[in-house]
Amino acid sequence: MDATTAMYVAQGLHGLAYGMILFLVASGLTLIFGMMGILTLAHAAFFMLSAYFSYQVMQMTQNFWLALLIAPVVAGIVGVLCERFLIRRVHVMGHIGELILTVGISLVILDAVKAIWSTDSLYVDIPECLQGLVSIVGMEYPIYRLFIIGLALLVLIFMALILYKTRLGMIVRAAVSDADMVNALGINVPLVFMLVFGVGTWMAGVAGVAIAPILTVFPGLADQMGMDAYIIVVVGGFGSLSGAFLVSIIFGLLSSYGVQFVSQLAPILMFIFMAIVLVIKPVGIFGERE
Amino acid sequence: MMNKTTKWILWSVLLVFLIIYPLVFGIYYTNVFVTFAIAALYAVAIQMLLGFTGFLSFGHAMYFGVGAYGTAIALVHIKGLPLIVSVLFGFASALLLALVMAPLVVRLSVTAFAMIHMAFGMLAYTLALKLRNITGGEDGIGAFPIPPLRIPGVFSIDMTDPTNFYYFAMVILGVSIWILWFVTKTPFGCLMVGIRDNANRIDYLGFKLPQTKAVLYLLVGGFAGIAGSIFALFQNLISAMELYIMHSFIQIMQIMVGGIGSFFGPILGAGVFAVLEELTSRYTQRVELVIGLILILVIMYFPTGLIGMYHHFKTRFFTRQAD
Amino acid sequence: MSILETKELSHDFKGLWALRNVGLQVKEGERHAIIGPNGAGKTTLFNVITGTYVPSKGNVFFKGNDVTKAKPNEMVRLGMGRSFQITSTFSRLTAFENIRMAVLSKRGIRFNLFKQVDKMNDVTEETDAILKRINLDGERDIPASALSYGKSRSLEISMALATDPDIVMLDEPTAGMSRDETHTAVELVRRLTEGKTTVIIEHDMDVVFSLADRITVLHHGEILAVGTPGEIEKNQEVKDAYLGEMEV
Repeated sequence: MDATTAMYVAQGLHGLAYGMILFLVASGLTLIFGMMGILTLAHAAFFMLSAYFSYQVMQMTQNFWLALLIAPVVAGIVGVLCERFLIRRVHVMGHIGELILTVGISLVILDAVKAIWSTDSLYVDIPECLQGLVSIVGMEYPIYRLFIIGLALLVLIFMALILYKTRLGMIVRAAVSDADMVNALGINVPLVFMLVFGVGTWMAGVAGVAIAPILTVFPGLADQMGMDAYIIVVVGGFGSLSGAFLVSIIFGLLSSYGVQFVSQLAPILMFIFMAIVLVIKPVGIFGERE
Repeated sequence: MMNKTTKWILWSVLLVFLIIYPLVFGIYYTNVFVTFAIAALYAVAIQMLLGFTGFLSFGHAMYFGVGAYGTAIALVHIKGLPLIVSVLFGFASALLLALVMAPLVVRLSVTAFAMIHMAFGMLAYTLALKLRNITGGEDGIGAFPIPPLRIPGVFSIDMTDPTNFYYFAMVILGVSIWILWFVTKTPFGCLMVGIRDNANRIDYLGFKLPQTKAVLYLLVGGFAGIAGSIFALFQNLISAMELYIMHSFIQIMQIMVGGIGSFFGPILGAGVFAVLEELTSRYTQRVELVIGLILILVIMYFPTGLIGMYHHFKTRFFTRQAD
Repeated sequence: MSILETKELSHDFKGLWALRNVGLQVKEGERHAIIGPNGAGKTTLFNVITGTYVPSKGNVFFKGNDVTKAKPNEMVRLGMGRSFQITSTFSRLTAFENIRMAVLSKRGIRFNLFKQVDKMNDVTEETDAILKRINLDGERDIPASALSYGKSRSLEISMALATDPDIVMLDEPTAGMSRDETHTAVELVRRLTEGKTTVIIEHDMDVVFSLADRITVLHHGEILAVGTPGEIEKNQEVKDAYLGEMEV
């Protein structure tokens, strides 16, 4: 393989890795926003929070795997608490209420994070066994990025299994289409919503831990990722996991190839893509309802 | 109902207050007040869309921003541009953007409307950041000449003087708010609340929905542009930060805090935010924490905002008296 | 002469035919009832005629014009009023404001941004006159959502009539009403639609036979019979398909 091709492939893999991270965040959001209809702008804040938790765990134990295990769960628990005691109560007011509330939650989390960990960029090390490069078809590539792709796939397969193969998943999908009916069947719908919110937040948390060694941990982490995740859910179509997946990968590739070819315009490419899709199909690529 | 005399007295008191304000409170608070008044017009314009017609927009900062850039760029490139014309430039740029956007957005559902605005809002932000030779990127456009308000041969008032600018801003912003208030009282205003309550029935009464929404959309965009234009003149600076999505959210929050669906709610909300920012930044570093907590408390316990709270207590007060 | 006519009108929802070759004819000045068991396609027929849907096949003619593709607001402007089976008023607006909306439409006041609506005395007077006629003058300033069910149904029907249409389409005006409320509503409909072409969907057979001049019976999306109340009452097919069901 000559150098140019190798570079294309490397950029493609970079894009894929970033796309998978995006998808981890976005699929959690698809569950919460797309399926349950809870408009949460705090999703990215939980993503960031988890990254900080992982930094903290690493500080205390120097063990990346422990951080990967603990941080997302803790972030998920914070998410569940927010859902149980705050978000649930304003759900009846519709999206405006949820918007205000979750912006409030984000601001509180953001400021709390700044107060506890300061505004500096914090560095998280890649665990030793994932450091270094691996040679794929004659090309050197960072192992850690491959690990991210694998990790994301694992989480997603896990989620897809739950959603489509278990009773819980069946209830979730039924609750989404007709909450009252499921309620009438004696299933505790609020509990289902709370669990789903927790799982969605947990997925964002996993992404937060995974991205921490690459981007470092800083308060602005939430902004970029949160906006991208939103756009993915909207462009892919509300509640459509396959739509979110497709768009995540496209965005990942757009950003990595974009940086290479039109570095100035790279961030704009995504918005242009989104604008085109939404103008043609306001409900998103795979969206059926609004 | 208030009778006419009380009404006139109240308006006169307000007018006198606005006139003597800068003389009493000094330059610092005069500037705080201008900031508040700009936010008030902006929030009132968004309220027309959100509270009256029921459309949530997550991207209106682009109209505010385009209005500001319109004025700033015109002042940079056109020598000797009169002050009023520069404001008109801002208004026209926002209007133009609204004219382009309107066909795309008027047929959308509420959620799609909110999201597509977020998308275009972010596009506008990114463009402002990246098109450096036009917008100045992160640094923005600053230190452009602020022309005096003048009629040749009659008078010329220096607008770099904060007190003079205060009066100018009050007139423009006040008249704008009055125009929007008037619109809510016209048959068109009836249509707006009709769309909010039951858009389908509006169609079945023979009104053209998309066209009605489009007119409203232009109105809201244009007046948000005026707010932006005054902002640019006031700060003598406009940067991409003003287009950031948070600046689309803040107005929605001010509306919620003041009272959704009420015309004067957003003004009250803008006032509360101005006072809050002033106080918190003086006593604590944690402005975001305080605002965040207030948002959570308001939405949890007083979702109808201050105006709703007022009505709530008024009703209680009067019922008690009746007992 | 038929003021409203449909020709071979068919409509399907994803392959499910809700209407098949419906040829409805409504004569000027008559009260025409459309009856049929649940799922017969009555409301779909209304929706297709009033412009909610464009039919899959066939045409709708109103006053001799082909209006198959006309939108609801265009139909209203051509002179068609419609009320809904599920009350569809402006819930947060008062009874007065609800009716006023229709009055504004009738007078063609749509984009007036330059005059306060409260100062349009003729609009106010006309609205108040309508409220008086439908016995809602006592509830003038009460939000529609706070009206009693019977009153809100009256408001619903009156909004369709307040645009002063040439033909009014009433979708089950007495839906969900108690016996007394039904009686009041029927009298209201009778009084308000005197001499006006009216198409009415109705379940209550007493109402249908007392109000209608002619009846069209729909069954499985097709027209089963058309005739005067007397003819329909005697029609064996109708009895089999419909009246029989009702009396179980």
